[in-house]
Amino acid sequence: MSLRFKLLLLGLATLVLPWAGCRYAREMESALREGEQNSLAAVAQSIASSLQGRRDLLYREPTAPSADAAGSSDAADRTPSQPPDAKPTPYDLRPILLPTAPYLDGYADEWPDDKAAWRYYAKGEHRFGILSGVYERMLYVLLEVRDDHLVFDAPGASPLDPSTFGDRVWLGFQGPDGHEHQVFIAATGPGSVTGRRIETGEYGQLTAVNETRITGALQPTAQGYRVELRIPLSMLGQRFGVLIDDRDHRGADPISYGMLRSDDLHTAGRLIVGSPDLTSYLKQFIQPGLRLSVAEPEGRLLAQADALRVVRVLGPERGILAQLYRRFVDRPGTRSIIDSSAPIYDREHQDVIGTLEVSQTEDRWLTLRDRALTRMLNLTLGISAVAVILILIFAARLAMRLSRLRAASESALTREGLVTTFPETDSTDELGDVARGFSTLLGRLNEYTGYLRTLAGKLAHEIRTPLTIVRSSLENLESEGVSSPASIYLERARQGSERLNAILVAMGAASRVEEAISNAERTRFDLVPVIASAVDSYRIAFPSRAFAIEIPQEVVGIDGAPDLIVQMLDKLVDNAVDFSPAGATITVRLRTMPESAVIEVENPGPPLPPLTRDHLFESLWQSRTDSDSRPHFGLGLYIVRLIAEFHRGEASATSLPGDTGARFTVRLAR
Amino acid sequence: MKRTVAIVEDEPAIRDNYAAAFTREGYVVRTYANRALAMTAFASRLPDLAVIDISLEEEPEGGFELCRQLRALSAELPIIFLTARDSDLDAVSGLRLGADDFLTKDLSLAHLIARVNALFRRVDALRRPLEATQVVRRGALTVDAERMQVEWEGQVVLLSLTEFWIVYALARHPGHVKNRQQLMDAANVVLDDNTITSHVKRIRRKFQSIDPRFDAVQTVYGMGYRWVE
Repeated sequence: MSLRFKLLLLGLATLVLPWAGCRYAREMESALREGEQNSLAAVAQSIASSLQGRRDLLYREPTAPSADAAGSSDAADRTPSQPPDAKPTPYDLRPILLPTAPYLDGYADEWPDDKAAWRYYAKGEHRFGILSGVYERMLYVLLEVRDDHLVFDAPGASPLDPSTFGDRVWLGFQGPDGHEHQVFIAATGPGSVTGRRIETGEYGQLTAVNETRITGALQPTAQGYRVELRIPLSMLGQRFGVLIDDRDHRGADPISYGMLRSDDLHTAGRLIVGSPDLTSYLKQFIQPGLRLSVAEPEGRLLAQADALRVVRVLGPERGILAQLYRRFVDRPGTRSIIDSSAPIYDREHQDVIGTLEVSQTEDRWLTLRDRALTRMLNLTLGISAVAVILILIFAARLAMRLSRLRAASESALTREGLVTTFPETDSTDELGDVARGFSTLLGRLNEYTGYLRTLAGKLAHEIRTPLTIVRSSLENLESEGVSSPASIYLERARQGSERLNAILVAMGAASRVEEAISNAERTRFDLVPVIASAVDSYRIAFPSRAFAIEIPQEVVGIDGAPDLIVQMLDKLVDNAVDFSPAGATITVRLRTMPESAVIEVENPGPPLPPLTRDHLFESLWQSRTDSDSRPHFGLGLYIVRLIAEFHRGEASATSLPGDTGARFTVRLAR
Repeated sequence: MKRTVAIVEDEPAIRDNYAAAFTREGYVVRTYANRALAMTAFASRLPDLAVIDISLEEEPEGGFELCRQLRALSAELPIIFLTARDSDLDAVSGLRLGADDFLTKDLSLAHLIARVNALFRRVDALRRPLEATQVVRRGALTVDAERMQVEWEGQVVLLSLTEFWIVYALARHPGHVKNRQQLMDAANVVLDDNTITSHVKRIRRKFQSIDPRFDAVQTVYGMGYRWVE
């Protein structure tokens, strides 16, 4: 893992800031929600208080006498105005709140599919179901009647002639004044129907008067027929009922069953429905995004004022960024609506007559939260991005400096020599310390290498004086005349000192070459004849080796010192002779390149040990393992390198293909 | 009359060995350990020949200074530098100061004595009236082996003893290549290849100072040198 990558990971750790921001936003959100919940509860409480004891609104009951009289006898008389929490009867009708007004066509399409709201009444085989609902100030009634024989009234006949009677639907109800009324529906065919009322005239005659406020429609069905009716609530008091007169043919005796007493068609059950004014009352509290509803204690809705989906004028304009953030912040399953409810009491809080429920959409506080969230996330994400970028830049710079340092330290150890200028040493940080450390180390190494390089020369110089003492003493001794056994030892001592002298000469060779190089004069000369004549002399000098020469035909001019070139060639050939078997062919080749002349000396023999290749041209390095009488100090190839460098070139060595020998290459600048 | 040889050498063992060898050859030898002692003695009486070590006790270059002072006293006194150093630079400096030869201590005593004898011979020959003996002429070159003197186009070329012998060896057989070893043998000197090369360079330079077109000494790379007419 590179340093860059590690630091990048470190930079990514700053992403904890936006994460913490999200957490904070959630906390803030729940605090807001809680506050909103509290205020909503206060709203619900105050509206519920304003509705306290308002049975007239909730159940359309007259309030005045029942609330304050508290007379038990009076209450017993007032059976019709029983409170809704009085014992329920099976004939009570509890209309649901309709979302829309049903279209009066005899079909149930517009009615909500609410199975629980249906009530059924039966007598023997006969049976009908009733569904009732309230929309605005109207009561809607849907009847599903099972009837084997649907019998219509005879058209054109008097509605009061019993012999023409078909199937009839009776509605019985109390008016707002408490009087009982009966209205019947008699159809002469499928389609619209209108209620009719029987009135007794001044002289006792009966007439059927159209009650046009009660309208509806009738349609036959597979089992019987369906009737849809609309009655204004203003006509209705506390009680209401429906009775079916089922006839098998016109004028037959009907089978009557339903919610009315069949003998006098008086009502048996109550109509439990909120006042139309309740909705208006609730509407005065309504605001966009709010829904108020009043329900019975059992949970059935009495009235509702809904502005939940009303778009607020100053509603939240959610930016793309905010919507994106929201996806990360919102917990799944979070409700977007908060609600609160409060009980509505009556009679000094003795009982609960209903429940007020207040619902509110979230967008009221969403705007506030979105703005804060967006701002915070923008800020923290921005900070993270800046931090990551800064760390990246820092890492890149650090990596660059390190790689520069590495490159410098690597090049410092190449045989081209030690660098003296090291990068980064001016920096004041730890990297600068490292660079300075390296620089010092390399400086010491340089001094040490320099010392080693000159050691041979110095040593040769220092040994020369005692050697001279030995030799001159031996020579003097010789001239003094010694006995013949002693002269043998004298001769051996002389030979030993000669060898020692040869060693000294070899040891001083490199420093002499260095000196020769520093004094050498550059001239322009042709390499070809120099090499050719040198190789000629090698043929004489080394008769046990064959020499092959490959030189170009043209003039290969270089700037340099021909003496030095020959000396370099001497060393290379010397080396090639030493490492090749007797009778081997040593190849000396001169090649020209656009910018340089290349001299190659190849000899068959052992390949170069791979590890030594880099050290071959260093001072005092040698890989010879044989011990011949001639002194070797590993200076030969070092001299080659010095001379090559004098000619702005370089020396290198490789094994021949197949490890059949070695090739030494010297590249000289032209 | 016995000739006097002064040896200025700070190493007692070497000094005494050299003294013994010269004494054996019949020279009168005076030895000095440093420059001050030597100069004090030379001020009162000059030797016939001086063998001087370059580094003398405290003075690393004391020999050069001594040579300069001695040359100031006498222009003709033969001076031989003898040194443990073998650097080319030293040789050049020494010869420029007027030394007649520059030898390393590798040289055997026999060779050293041969050199000294040769120098005395040259001094004697120069003092004698000119005789046309053992004179080799090659075109513009005249080599007088007796006086160890070389002329080019009639002008004397001032060569050191080693240089003279190299020129003499080459010029005796023009066209023949003499390798370095042959040249060293001719000069009675043990030198390494580089020193021979620098000697040859110096010889060329000396001739070229008289005749810029001089190129009679030719290098045969890898073999040696030859004289071309």
